[in-house]
Amino acid sequence: MILNVSQLTKNFRNVRAVKNLSFDVMEGEIFAFLGPNGAGKTTTLRILLDIIKPDSGTVDWHLKGSKSGLADPTMMGYLPEERGLYPDLPVLRTLIYLASIRGMNPRQAHTEAMLWLEKLGLDKRANEKLQALSKGNQQKVQFVASVLHKPRFAILDEPFSGFDPVNQELFIGFIKELQQTGTTVLLSAHQMQLVEKIASRVMLINKGEELFLGSLAQLYERYSDRKTFEVSFTSDIPITQLTELKGAIAADKLANEKYHITFQSDMPVYAILSLLASLKTISEVKSMTPSLHDIYVSLVGNKSSIESDNVNA
Amino acid sequence: MNYFRQLLTVTLWEYKRFYKIKNELLGIAVLLGMGVIGYYGGSLAVGAIAEKGDITIAMDQPEKLEEILADGYVVTKVPVTDIDAEIEKINTRQEGTLLWKEDETFVLHAWKEPARMNKLREYLGKYHQHLTMERKDLSQSDMDELMGDAPLKTRYEYVHRQEKTRLVAFFFAGIMVMTVFISFAYQFTAITGEKQLRITEQIVSAIKPQVWMDGKILGITLTSLSSMISYFLLSIIGGIVLFIFTDRPVSSIGDYLYPGAMVLYFLFTFAGILLWNSMLAAVASIITDPNNSGKGGLMMLPSLFVLGSLLVLLNPDNGTSVFLSWFPLTSATAMPMRWLSTPVAWWEVAGSFALLAITLYFTRKLAAKIFRVSILISGKEPGWGEVIKLVRNS
Repeated sequence: MILNVSQLTKNFRNVRAVKNLSFDVMEGEIFAFLGPNGAGKTTTLRILLDIIKPDSGTVDWHLKGSKSGLADPTMMGYLPEERGLYPDLPVLRTLIYLASIRGMNPRQAHTEAMLWLEKLGLDKRANEKLQALSKGNQQKVQFVASVLHKPRFAILDEPFSGFDPVNQELFIGFIKELQQTGTTVLLSAHQMQLVEKIASRVMLINKGEELFLGSLAQLYERYSDRKTFEVSFTSDIPITQLTELKGAIAADKLANEKYHITFQSDMPVYAILSLLASLKTISEVKSMTPSLHDIYVSLVGNKSSIESDNVNA
Repeated sequence: MNYFRQLLTVTLWEYKRFYKIKNELLGIAVLLGMGVIGYYGGSLAVGAIAEKGDITIAMDQPEKLEEILADGYVVTKVPVTDIDAEIEKINTRQEGTLLWKEDETFVLHAWKEPARMNKLREYLGKYHQHLTMERKDLSQSDMDELMGDAPLKTRYEYVHRQEKTRLVAFFFAGIMVMTVFISFAYQFTAITGEKQLRITEQIVSAIKPQVWMDGKILGITLTSLSSMISYFLLSIIGGIVLFIFTDRPVSSIGDYLYPGAMVLYFLFTFAGILLWNSMLAAVASIITDPNNSGKGGLMMLPSLFVLGSLLVLLNPDNGTSVFLSWFPLTSATAMPMRWLSTPVAWWEVAGSFALLAITLYFTRKLAAKIFRVSILISGKEPGWGEVIKLVRNS
């Protein structure tokens, strides 16, 4: 175990941002923090980095070579959600500076930075000002800044945001590469389809509380028996009418008159069809196997149903 | 990674980020350009003033007045009977100056107030003095004795570091004001700019807020000092040029550079700029939006104290001056100036400096604490009450 978090709680005025979160991160794994916007992911990550203090709970780092239980900045990499670098300064100079304050020798930082920039096709623009690069390339430089010093533990807050699908795939490759070179990765995201490609374990949180903690296989095993349907009606129907149906967990509108709806596992199919038919005439209905994305949406989309499921990984 | 290595990295980063030799040289070139324009513009203006003006006098016996006025005017005499006609002329032409006398009073009629009014008053005063001497039957030597100063011999027990070093005192005070303004601009950009660019979170995840704050304070102080040294050297060159042009030996410039004063000034100025930078950094840390912040005005506070410390020059021995030379927000400029102007015990100088250093130590700590609690506030700017509460709870 490289990180142990226990009973973490943080309030901002009257808002409970994080409530009794506990989890461990194992050495060498990619651990993902999943949750919608405002779930408490960034607050938790800032607490882990000692940028803000928790109201209660403990954070213990077990990084080899670190003298205390605190996060040793020289061994940590951090990609903040709120990103920014010096737009009026050259890319290479900024990268060397940021690696230097994390303890890397400036010469070594120069060599490593050039290798990364080459990998990103930006080596010829190393001495250009950051503002001369496109927004996407600036994001790439920001990523490099957070891992250039070869951290033992990298915290990446929303690493895929702002990237197109091609670059998202590129960064999935980079994160895997980091793991292969011995860096433990803790990332936060809200794109399940991306997380499932790289994470060994996930923690789902919503409104500061834990919804699920475990491997993706465990998540699927636990929630795949939920009943999911794609239903078309003869005319549109308010989404609230669907979510208020007995046993309904979550509902999405896919297109005009077409909806995606998930029911609890103990609801019989005939009862579900009867409930749906009572709303409006059904023109088509398909039974679906829930994807991890469906499970995620249904979990964070209706927290009360989770509580009734008594999730406790 | 130890504190000093990180401090050095941040300090050099801030210094290189803000101190641009090209900009410095450009600033000096502009200053020199302004000096040249000022010099030649001044010469032209003086030349214009040196040209004689026109005046018409209407008097019965104008000889002596004409002689006095001839020094600065081209004088035209007209008979007293022509006064009305001359006034008519002035009003028609919308120019001209006519002088005559009604009993013992001079009357001046002009289209508008003459440009050399003070000079004219001086000439009329001379003429009036001449008439009085005649009336009282006084000789020129009687008059000189009457108007002369009381005979006085001066013997001062304390004479060192007077006029020449006083000039240095003004010079350093000016430099201090300049560096405070430079620091104000840089510190504001360095901190609020980084907050707005969202760089701070990245930085404080890597280093402690205290290291970051100390590096910023030191880096920007060095930037200001570099500018200060540039202007200091420029002033010495300017002094040498002035001495050459005024036929004074260049070696006498050393009289102005009294080594004791220079060391004292440097120490106090350095500590003072560090202190002001710490305060500016603390204020800048709270500001989330520099365009709409109500706290930006506080950044001007240092110049107020620096200018206030100049009161020492009026009377270096009174209670106010003693207070200003001890009070940490004014002592950086006030104590060296007092030391140059009056005898000051060594323990006073040492005590004042110690107080300044202690204040600096705690101010930078406070600045880092304020920065830490306000770093992630990017929405509504917190009030002072809120900041104090956050700092207390941190």
